Amino acid sequence: MNKPPSWTSREESLLLLNAYLDNELDAASVLDVERRMGSDAALKAEFARLGELRNALSTHVGKERASDALRQRIADIAGPSNARVAPRPRARPSARSFDWRQMAAAAVVAASLASVGTYVGLQQTASNGEIAEIVAGHQRALLATSPFDVASSDRHTVKPWFDGKLAVSPQIVDLAETGFPLVGGRVDVVDGHPVPTVVYKRREHVISLTAVPKPGSKDEGGPPTHTTRDGYSLLVWPGRDFSYAAVSDVAASELEEFVARWRSGATGK
Amino acid sequence: MDDRQRFGEVVLPHLDDALSLARWLTGSITDAEDVVQEACVRAYAAIATEKSNPRAWLLAIVRNTAFTWLAKNRPKAVLVTDDEGLFERAGLEMIDRSHDATPEAVLIAKVDAEQLHRAIAALPIAYREPLVLREIEGLSYQEISSVMSIPIGTVMSRLARARALLIQRIGMVGKGKAGAA
Repeated sequence: MNKPPSWTSREESLLLLNAYLDNELDAASVLDVERRMGSDAALKAEFARLGELRNALSTHVGKERASDALRQRIADIAGPSNARVAPRPRARPSARSFDWRQMAAAAVVAASLASVGTYVGLQQTASNGEIAEIVAGHQRALLATSPFDVASSDRHTVKPWFDGKLAVSPQIVDLAETGFPLVGGRVDVVDGHPVPTVVYKRREHVISLTAVPKPGSKDEGGPPTHTTRDGYSLLVWPGRDFSYAAVSDVAASELEEFVARWRSGATGK
Repeated sequence: MDDRQRFGEVVLPHLDDALSLARWLTGSITDAEDVVQEACVRAYAAIATEKSNPRAWLLAIVRNTAFTWLAKNRPKAVLVTDDEGLFERAGLEMIDRSHDATPEAVLIAKVDAEQLHRAIAALPIAYREPLVLREIEGLSYQEISSVMSIPIGTVMSRLARARALLIQRIGMVGKGKAGAA
């Protein structure tokens, strides 16, 4: 079992308890859980709660049943059945988002088994429009009461926060020792999609590190692209599964130092 | 066997599963039908890639289609904001629950269908999805890991958090009732 080192033994017990409920443990771990429950009344009470929750779920939440009309439409995807050519009823006349013919064509080209992150940004580096939005996100954040939505100097807090909000989480590097403390995270919108932005500080300056998901991307070690926009410096470089953009009003040389330290922290070099 | 027969054997038997997952990801049965139909178009085009687990294979396509659909039609759904406070507490402090919000097992047994549906719908999608895959679809951790493309350790912690959030919410509702009585 791969477990983060930050788990407390309490958290570990609760995860094991869930896995025990799900019959996912090997014999040795089953014994371990039963032993823990034997000596820990709170854990035993938790197990009773989990058991009742499971009962309630199986009593009250059932499977959906596909209607005959839907079944017929789907059977027809593989070519109209010889039995009958079912009409394709439009369930609702309201604005539909799919164009089936287009979808089918696209699907033939590539059956994309894309993960949630892949909808954003396909270019290797941020486009002009993305850069404008990233800088705008930074500016808005500076005008707000606080430049972040979750305040924490602990990356073990910020990372799960993104994970829970967006189901994606960028690499978060702790740079406090080099004078760039982590202060929190927020969600920006780039190209119509929510993306994670990690917020660092340099003295009183805010550095926004926006991570635009780009699955498959990785840090090849090339120099970052430098841009200046509305008086802010912006450095863009590819990282693991994200394109990163750092924005700040600190001196360009300091932002470069930040990026260099961040990248060496991220790649473990 | 031609593609059409394979489609009939691999996809059609699992439509109820596909629809159930899409319903809990999109939040409505009509949207779920759209998602399932599109997912099946993709599945048909990719039918040759299915190897050994048709149901998990189809559910992976359904969830990816659902997320693409959500990104396009409900960009805010990825940012579930139904109950930020509840989420923050459970997400950040995990299980360190205050005792007054923790219901007795007996109270959980009394929850009604509507309360439970609302509690599931209010879960952040990152937690709702593994819960639905486990409790409604009955997938193993290994299958959930492959459907969602996340490590098994993440499956475990998300499931634990999902259940902790549900229990907490049921406790709050139950407490509200007791207060009103």
